[in-house]
Amino acid sequence: MTIPVISRMPMPTEESAAFFKHVCPPTFAGDNPDPVEPTVRIARDLVVDFALALPEGDSVPMWIIEDPEDARLGRQFPSKLIRLREGDVVHAKVGAKKNTHTIHWHGIEPTPMNDGVGKHSFEVGASFVYQFCARQAGTYFYHCHKNTPLHFEMGLYGLLIVDPPEGQGVVTRLAPEQGHREHYDVEAFWVPDEIDRRWHELGHEAFMQKCDEADPVRRDDFSHGGILNDFRPDVFLVTGVPAARRDPKIVDPRVAVSAHAGQTILLRVLNAGYTVQRFTLDLDAEVIAMDGRPLGVPPYGVYSSPFTLPARTPFQLTSAMRWELLLKPTVPGTYPAQVEYFHWVTGKRLATVRTQIKVL
Amino acid sequence: MHGHDLQWCISSKEWSRRDALTLGGVGLATLSLRSVACHAALGGPLDPELSIGEALVEMIDGELVYAWAFGDPRRGPSVPGPVLEAFAGQELQVTVTNTLSTPHAFAVLGTPIATKPIAPGATETLTFRAPPAGTYLYVDPLSAPVNRLMGLHGAMVVLPEERAGTPYSAPTPAVARLFGDLGTTEHFPGEPWQSDRSRVWLFGSVDLRLPDSISRGATFDMNEFLPGYFTINGLSGAFASHDPETIPKGRLGEPHLVRILNAGMAAHSPHFHANHVYVLARNNVVQENVVLVDSFTVGPTERVDVLLPFMRPPDVAGDPQTPLRDLVKHELGMRLGTPQRPLAYPMHCHMEMSQTAAGGNYPQGLVTHWEITGDLDGVDFPESELESQSTGGDRHDHSSH
Repeated sequence: MTIPVISRMPMPTEESAAFFKHVCPPTFAGDNPDPVEPTVRIARDLVVDFALALPEGDSVPMWIIEDPEDARLGRQFPSKLIRLREGDVVHAKVGAKKNTHTIHWHGIEPTPMNDGVGKHSFEVGASFVYQFCARQAGTYFYHCHKNTPLHFEMGLYGLLIVDPPEGQGVVTRLAPEQGHREHYDVEAFWVPDEIDRRWHELGHEAFMQKCDEADPVRRDDFSHGGILNDFRPDVFLVTGVPAARRDPKIVDPRVAVSAHAGQTILLRVLNAGYTVQRFTLDLDAEVIAMDGRPLGVPPYGVYSSPFTLPARTPFQLTSAMRWELLLKPTVPGTYPAQVEYFHWVTGKRLATVRTQIKVL
Repeated sequence: MHGHDLQWCISSKEWSRRDALTLGGVGLATLSLRSVACHAALGGPLDPELSIGEALVEMIDGELVYAWAFGDPRRGPSVPGPVLEAFAGQELQVTVTNTLSTPHAFAVLGTPIATKPIAPGATETLTFRAPPAGTYLYVDPLSAPVNRLMGLHGAMVVLPEERAGTPYSAPTPAVARLFGDLGTTEHFPGEPWQSDRSRVWLFGSVDLRLPDSISRGATFDMNEFLPGYFTINGLSGAFASHDPETIPKGRLGEPHLVRILNAGMAAHSPHFHANHVYVLARNNVVQENVVLVDSFTVGPTERVDVLLPFMRPPDVAGDPQTPLRDLVKHELGMRLGTPQRPLAYPMHCHMEMSQTAAGGNYPQGLVTHWEITGDLDGVDFPESELESQSTGGDRHDHSSH
């Protein structure tokens, strides 16, 4: 019996170098090819080891991206927040301390050599100065884009916030009579993530394909037996704070919000994990921006509008989505909030982590 | 009217016969066949025929997987099945022949269009009017989701019945305004959308254990389903990233429509680099609130249409009025393994497990590219002399670590 075979396409010979670069990018180091005078200089090194302490007393090995100036001040996960102002021209000197890496400034949109994707540019050898201009205030993040399933899971990410020119305390939102600005009193970051501890025992290059310039898609060069398609988290965290297994409630001030009645809270939410995350707040919230783009604000936002999520109306984010919410509680009280984590294939709920918004 | 015929959009370049593969002593005629989106009038048959049959599909690492596939009875099977194109309201007659030994069917999800179960060896003819313009997933709905996951799925693209400035029969005010603004406003210099600037990206995934069980007549617990291969239009990784029918390519100011369909079981989170995209329609609901995002959800069987505006990547440092070819001329002239021209960026799913093949081999999963070939003023990036090779040291060999 003959069953028709739908074969893999042959690799076009003229694409051989591109197919090779797809899996084995070159390394590069040095200055930016088209430098513009920067207004801000930052530096980040990767990778740095970090032991994440769990409430149960054990710990998980993580990798973080570190500001070299902070090396003595104590390490943090997620990696240190980068705070910029709209219009900043940024030079970010990224050092690869171990192995080769990249940094992708997620939501920031520069040229390929500044976008931090190896297969479209290079992996950083010793160091490289990435350059971009932060032209739109909003919520972004940065992460390593090499062997990404593993490197992002290991903790190689941090938030990147672009404030309007007025600086921290003001957010861009639809408000024509106020120049599309609103003041906020309290800023909070909810960045849920999950950990599959089996993955945290792996090496940088785990399960990568062998580099074969002569035949970059040679069947024998593919790795087998990898587990990077099989994500089985058993630690659930928010903004670096792991929830206790028995009582998964986080009151740590890095997550739990505290404000006075009448104040405005800006909540920046990022799914930094690999599950479908469902958020439910016991307070009304207005969604004012997604992925660093303010809803309703001209010119590019005029096809959309901010909208209100009534209390207890869930919203769902998959990996890398960011929402900005404004909360204006008027009645004192402790308002619960929760994030549920659902498996990306089975849809099964894996965990529910609770926190709170305390209104004084 | 010929232009209103349902078209079979199978690119002729895929029809070459390949050398016979020998597998386990059995000589197999290798028919390379893949369906692609097309947007030209190819003049295919008026009343298309689909067959349902067996195939062995080669994964990116060479693994051959038993599959069930839709296909043209004369041309053979493909996964996904051929892209069906029609105009809204057009009367169609689809003939489906089941060559397998179990009952199968044809249905367009989200519509009443469906055959009854078709017995082994039998043929059913289905006459229907094409639904409102949009992006539809056709499947074998039986034993859901098993038959769909075995390969019996494809895209149906329905175009507006009249020449319209948008892809929809009844665009919302926001979608109409967006398309009306393209090429006519200060913030969207360049060109209006042209319907041939469209791509279909059908996401698929394969768990080897499912076809293995099916082919042995065993049952498979779908709670255990865990895909190990991830595809766009049947292709993975480097192949999907260099497939001209898949990648959007053009100068700044040449907006493209991308129709995304998820035939698999995973929740995907497609992420575009270098441009945010407008979400136009979700499961054929044209959006009232057209958000501009860089990452969004496409759940199992969902369809999401987005507009990739082909804007100048906004965060390139330097004077936004200076053409990119002048502002970043050194980068455009560099060779880092390959030339840095044109400007190429990825679109990949951020549920990063989908970037794998066989549990690793990053990034040989659900990833493709889009390419900016020139500036807004119609000038392509120049074919200048390439600067020297990278200076950063050794090539990296993963096997040495």
